[in-house]
Amino acid sequence: MIHLYAIAQGLGDVPDGAGIGGEPLRRLEVDDVAAVFSSHDAAPPEPDEQAVLAHAAAVEALLGASDALLPARFGRAFANEGALEAAVREQLDDLRPALARARGHVEFGVRVLGADDEPAPEAGSGRAYMQARLDARARAERIAGSVHEPLARFAAASTSSTGGSGRLFLSGAYLVPADAIEGFRAVVGELEAAHPELTFVCTGPWPPYSFAT
Amino acid sequence: MSPSDRPLEQQITLIELVDRVLNKGVVLSGDITLSVADVDLVYVGLRVLLASVGTLEEQAAAARGDGAG
Repeated sequence: MIHLYAIAQGLGDVPDGAGIGGEPLRRLEVDDVAAVFSSHDAAPPEPDEQAVLAHAAAVEALLGASDALLPARFGRAFANEGALEAAVREQLDDLRPALARARGHVEFGVRVLGADDEPAPEAGSGRAYMQARLDARARAERIAGSVHEPLARFAAASTSSTGGSGRLFLSGAYLVPADAIEGFRAVVGELEAAHPELTFVCTGPWPPYSFAT
Repeated sequence: MSPSDRPLEQQITLIELVDRVLNKGVVLSGDITLSVADVDLVYVGLRVLLASVGTLEEQAAAARGDGAG
């Protein structure tokens, strides 16, 4: 079975260091695109924590070794190299623009959480309770928007989900030019300073997982 | 080191990473999808891992699509 790590353009040497289960990273060229994979004798790798981390480490190494990279989603497998090549070739027209967008960019994740001790709505009447819930939801979405918009303006592309449940106001992903990492962090810092009541969790730079399709 | 001994920041980074590896990234047609149960196992592990980060745990459940929240 074949496990796919990433699709790349401008890939130099495949980085040393093994993939999942100690299997070496190998490459398959399809026109101007390289697919990086490892072969596994029997079943494809199980997505346990160790394998997920090994996949992520290989993708990270490939990011530094290529001009443009699209991480592959874990949990898929190919029967053999022929099947992988056919799948890549079939989707070249989608992969090329996605690679062009990802080129020279990295991803940041931003999660914004409300206060730990937010008072629960009073459970006086059913209607009052529902109104309080609605007010809280509207407020959360307003806050999420006021944080997401400046980040999205800075980024080349973004995705976000807002108004989830509990304390999580915003979960966003932002595609940022690799030479503008400090600028993005500065915007996050400004928002953090402007919203002392919120907790910001900014992670990255990541390979552009959220912008691979 | 057991998962719950990890610092909070490291736990959050880990769930962000697992969320990306399992739920984002390019999918090619013609591949073989592993059973959802396998993927769920990772999340079960993470739910234990993140017992102290309740909201992010919910987020993982929502990302998995079981409609929490």
